[in-house]
Amino acid sequence: MRVILFIGDNLVLILAGRLVSLVALIILVGAILYYIQRAMSGKIPKLRRLPAVDVIQEIVGRCVEMGRPVWYLFGSTDMTTPSILAPTVAAFQTLSYTARIAARLGAKLFVPLNQGLAYTMASDIVREAYVAENKLEDFDPLKTVMYLPSGADRMYIINHMWEEQVAGAFFLGSWYHEAVIYTENAAREGAVMLGGTDTTHNIPFLVAICDYSVIGEELYALGAYVSQDALQSSSLAGQDIGKYLAIIAILIGAILVTAGISLTEFFKLGW
Amino acid sequence: MSDRLTKISLPIWLTAIFGILMIIEFFFSVPQIVTDTNVKLRSWVTIVSAAALILGTFILTIAHVKRAYERKPGWYYSLIYIGAFAVAGALGLISVRETNFMWIFNNMTSPIGAALYSLTAFTITSAAFRVFRARNWKASVMLVCGFIVLMMLLPVGGAIFPPIVPIGEWIRSFPSSAGFRGMIIGISLGTIGLGVRIFLGRQKEHLGIREEKKEAS
Repeated sequence: MRVILFIGDNLVLILAGRLVSLVALIILVGAILYYIQRAMSGKIPKLRRLPAVDVIQEIVGRCVEMGRPVWYLFGSTDMTTPSILAPTVAAFQTLSYTARIAARLGAKLFVPLNQGLAYTMASDIVREAYVAENKLEDFDPLKTVMYLPSGADRMYIINHMWEEQVAGAFFLGSWYHEAVIYTENAAREGAVMLGGTDTTHNIPFLVAICDYSVIGEELYALGAYVSQDALQSSSLAGQDIGKYLAIIAILIGAILVTAGISLTEFFKLGW
Repeated sequence: MSDRLTKISLPIWLTAIFGILMIIEFFFSVPQIVTDTNVKLRSWVTIVSAAALILGTFILTIAHVKRAYERKPGWYYSLIYIGAFAVAGALGLISVRETNFMWIFNNMTSPIGAALYSLTAFTITSAAFRVFRARNWKASVMLVCGFIVLMMLLPVGGAIFPPIVPIGEWIRSFPSSAGFRGMIIGISLGTIGLGVRIFLGRQKEHLGIREEKKEAS
């Protein structure tokens, strides 16, 4: 089934059930572009600073003071799965910032990954961060970023957390059951942890066990914050427009449902 | 200039073009050629991913060979890795359906994986002790709700105190679902924002691209 729209003289075919999503996407992207455009003309929106931004330096600094390593873990990194790809890419943004701080302060950084594509990308990101800080000699291509086959990585990570007495750890990306295994072991070692994921069933574990956490969309915002690029962080104001629209939609929906008006039939029309 | 083109501009443009192609295919009725192109692009992702896997395995093997050669602490584990890799790799090259290869997979890889997975039960238990402490009022709410839901799920909970079942179901159906849906809306907005920033080439750290920015004072 298709919804047929005419825009001017042009015929546009939109797949059934996707019109509402398309309109929402256009509004949201438009809002983000508007705020980026405003930022380019010098009007930077005031944004709430994420506490996690300051915590990154604090964790790395602690590890340097204690002479113990700092770990950056990603969880699942299957880049061919869209739901995993997005949080992994978001975690890459923060990795770049963290690696630069680690290189600058002389921290021993360790980044294990269990997927080949993510490994090559992370390796490149960390290497570039060390180059940026003129500390390439501290980057060990065999050890700083390590590929560990999925399954075997769990035992390696748990064992080395204990052996190397990890003092700080980042758990950012798409996390599943490993979140509990790793964070619990890191907590027993006394590591200070920053956790953040968009997998809703593991958010409570990371929030409860980690010392600091970024929840849901903050994972995506963190990369923009740490970039120190005003245009990037301005885009977050555009996302807030989406939140306001969601709140309005929820309120209207709640009122209509309370009044006994069902929207189910409307959405069955194929919008 | 050419260095910037190949390392920065080209990857960003390719990301934006292919990304927009995928979005167009999702929303609009497009000619078959666009769908075929997108299917081909998605299969390329799998191929590139497999190539990266080979690279990762190669570097891991080098690391273990180096460790064994230099007799570093735990070098004998590296020998086990090299031996296992050589045997499994050789049998896999003959045929992945070969009996010996499948024997290794069914009797060694799978049970070890299952054993490691079972660790979750122990860590969740000890994590629960760490988490469920009434340190403040928020943690106390979580403790009470967690206890109610746990008792609702246990058969003994309903037997001891029957009203705990509807209370637990209410917690799961309303406050918990509402919270999760709010999170999902936020995550979706965050994903779209990330996508726009990547398409515009504003966010490119994931490409391993380093461009100096003005440091915040």
